[in-house]
Amino acid sequence: MKKKLLVGVALMTSLMLALTGCGGKKGGGPSGNVDENGVTTDEITLTFWHYEDETTINMLAEKFMDKYPNIKVETRVIEDMSSDLSAAAAAGNFPDVFEGTDSDTALANQYWLDISEYFDNDPENDNLMATIKEYGIGCFDTDARYAMPMVYWPSGIFIDRNVINTLNLQMPRTDWTWAEMIQLIKDATVDTGSGMKYFGLGFYNRLDSLYGIAACSPEERALKGEFGFDGTDFDLSYWAVGEQEFSDLKLGGYVAPSQETQEMEDWTGNWDAWFGETGHVAVFSEGFWTYQNLWGLEGYQERFGLDIVPYVTPNVVDEKEHNVISTMYMGGVSTSCKYPYEAYLLLKWMGWGIEGWKERIAIYSDTSITNAAGTPLKNAQMPMPITLDQEVWEGYKALFPQDADHKPFWDDYFASVTRPVPYGWYNIAGYWNFCDQYFNKIGIHDLVDQGKAKAADYVEEATEQANYYHAEAMISYFGPGGYNVLSEEELAKYQAVVDSFAQ
Amino acid sequence: MSKEKKQKKPKIKLGKLEKREARMGYLFVAPWIIGVLLFLLIPLGQSFYYMWFNIRITPLATVYNYVGTQNFTQIWLENPEFPQQLVTYIWQTIVQVPVIVVFALLIAIMLNGKIKCRGFFRLIFFLPVIIVSGPVMNMLVEEGAATIPSMNVQSIVNAFDQFLSHSLAESVGEIFSNMIMTLWYSGVQILIFLSALQKLDPALYEAAKIDGGSNWECFWKITLPTIKPMILLNAVYTVIFLSSNEQNSLINMIESAMFSGTKEKGYGYASAMAWMYAIVITLIVLLFFLLLGSKKDAYDRQIKKVKRAKKKELRMEKRIERRGKRNVKKLEKARKKRKYKTYDGSGDY
Repeated sequence: MKKKLLVGVALMTSLMLALTGCGGKKGGGPSGNVDENGVTTDEITLTFWHYEDETTINMLAEKFMDKYPNIKVETRVIEDMSSDLSAAAAAGNFPDVFEGTDSDTALANQYWLDISEYFDNDPENDNLMATIKEYGIGCFDTDARYAMPMVYWPSGIFIDRNVINTLNLQMPRTDWTWAEMIQLIKDATVDTGSGMKYFGLGFYNRLDSLYGIAACSPEERALKGEFGFDGTDFDLSYWAVGEQEFSDLKLGGYVAPSQETQEMEDWTGNWDAWFGETGHVAVFSEGFWTYQNLWGLEGYQERFGLDIVPYVTPNVVDEKEHNVISTMYMGGVSTSCKYPYEAYLLLKWMGWGIEGWKERIAIYSDTSITNAAGTPLKNAQMPMPITLDQEVWEGYKALFPQDADHKPFWDDYFASVTRPVPYGWYNIAGYWNFCDQYFNKIGIHDLVDQGKAKAADYVEEATEQANYYHAEAMISYFGPGGYNVLSEEELAKYQAVVDSFAQ
Repeated sequence: MSKEKKQKKPKIKLGKLEKREARMGYLFVAPWIIGVLLFLLIPLGQSFYYMWFNIRITPLATVYNYVGTQNFTQIWLENPEFPQQLVTYIWQTIVQVPVIVVFALLIAIMLNGKIKCRGFFRLIFFLPVIIVSGPVMNMLVEEGAATIPSMNVQSIVNAFDQFLSHSLAESVGEIFSNMIMTLWYSGVQILIFLSALQKLDPALYEAAKIDGGSNWECFWKITLPTIKPMILLNAVYTVIFLSSNEQNSLINMIESAMFSGTKEKGYGYASAMAWMYAIVITLIVLLFFLLLGSKKDAYDRQIKKVKRAKKKELRMEKRIERRGKRNVKKLEKARKKRKYKTYDGSGDY
């Protein structure tokens, strides 16, 4: 009798524990206590892992906590996405919200939660840069939204006006075309035989990456990603034209040497020199951050005799508004998050929300605030807003040169970067696997750059490979073994690509 | 005889002191046992299990998909870097181990001699073991501190290329390009050799000198044979050290595969890599064991042979004895049943 009683008590206790969710993860489950906006009134903690400047993010987190006093935000800088997040998942302390630089890792391991419900019902999201919704950036060719661009840096072409003036060349129009850019690069390559040679182009971003988006009109093919990706499949024939053109420029001597090479030492007498400081390069294909972190620093351009102005990445077709290839760190709410709505609010605040951006601009405008390295925060990896809110943009533009000589260039540039298209690894499933296991492995860039092969020779094979890796990733990430959101037809379509490749 | 054998030895009850000593013994060994269990046997078993699976660690759960030998085929067929690195590693280890061991032996002999500031020099040679490990070593290598700038490694490689295969020449070149690092790796080996040298009986040298032996002869006839087991120990230690330090590209490759988020890699893939690597390391250790393992001398071998022969003889005697007894019993039985017949058929002897 006593034994039965004990068993009964044990059963009741375990049942109660199961029902109340005791022994669960941190913070317990959502209690259902919410305010009129649907935000929890419980005391909770959200973790935010990111790649941005630590000081900026910590200040933004404080502002968020001011707005939501019951939500504590803990931040951490990610050193390496794969290892940090894998270790966190294995240890059971996965962040609630995080930014990632490689979407394949996040999708393969189902790190991101579907936030469509929150995103679609948020009116603020109607005023975003058009391609975010139009191309489903963060949806990865599904109907669900898993991520949003958190950090946006458009690619940029910068021109050193001093070099153009020295060489007696004309400054191009700001809405120039691809052909005009190539011509300027050729015209600005001058070797007088005495003194340092002038190079037409100095590059961080390869021109073939830019060309992949600029290659044709939307009517011909809607290029939504690198390698001629149109949202369904790849066509590397567009890439091949840009690749060959860029390699021909390199082989023709129009491109400045890279840092830490013998060519650089021969040119400048300094192995470590960077072409952006020489005052002998006319056109730069650079990341947007290069201006903010270097050229934009006070006194920097005067020191090296530069006069840098931004230009839009040109398109082959002469049209005012076109897509621009961009660096876009994607961020999302994790699948293990206990408070997904509050996490979504944090995600928006840190990424694209108007309120968050207003706070950012206030922080960036105060140049007395510096990070651990002593750099003013606007010169420390400041991203660009993807909201089109006028007030935000006015504040943002004010952070850049305002003098009559430079302002028009910046205004034109900002007006031209409203249709971002992310690099492949941010928004195309399987892209990283394709690069890792095929494209980079056979070293196509090197082979073409050295004149050992023609880019066109790889088009057919590379297109097949890219389509295969994409289809395989789509099945793996979004099929029954993954998020399971693909329809039967979609699955069959991707399976057909995989099967045809296997044959 | 057999009954005597079966008798169990009487158990001797341990006294209080012995019990306490035994407890203390276990207590001292306990950290090692716990360490082996937690950080060797369990991970070893886990990795053996993992290598047959594709493992995805999602924030909600760890998903195991059985893939059989797919991880292995993928490594060999789709990851050309692994076999390449493995071959380079094998060459480098086979070439580097003798260099390090010989260098350590020479330094140990020098440090064992009567020189001024001997303690200081010993400290100098052991210091890298303490300081240059982990991230410090990585930073030094990145700064080029592991190389001798004035040494033209390429011409050394070219020279070796003429009579060695290219991969072997590259491995030799690698040693020269990391010469300083190789010397840094010798600290522990020097220490082991020093302790062995200090235990050598000076009377042996005295006797050899009286018989007119030179230093050179003493080294080859006394020093080297006596410390031979230490050479094997150092060789094995060096193989293990070279195979598991942070500069080893295979270790880095396994680590990056382990934390890779791509769907093909992860814990399962890394475990398969690690097991294959472990087998290769074992084979290299075995190779050095075969080369340096001490063989017993002729006298020992002869004694063993005689002992074996005696044992065999004893076994034969016993067998004959057993057979004889058995036959006697059989004969007795047959006689009782009157089935036994003599050659003439009378049944009488």
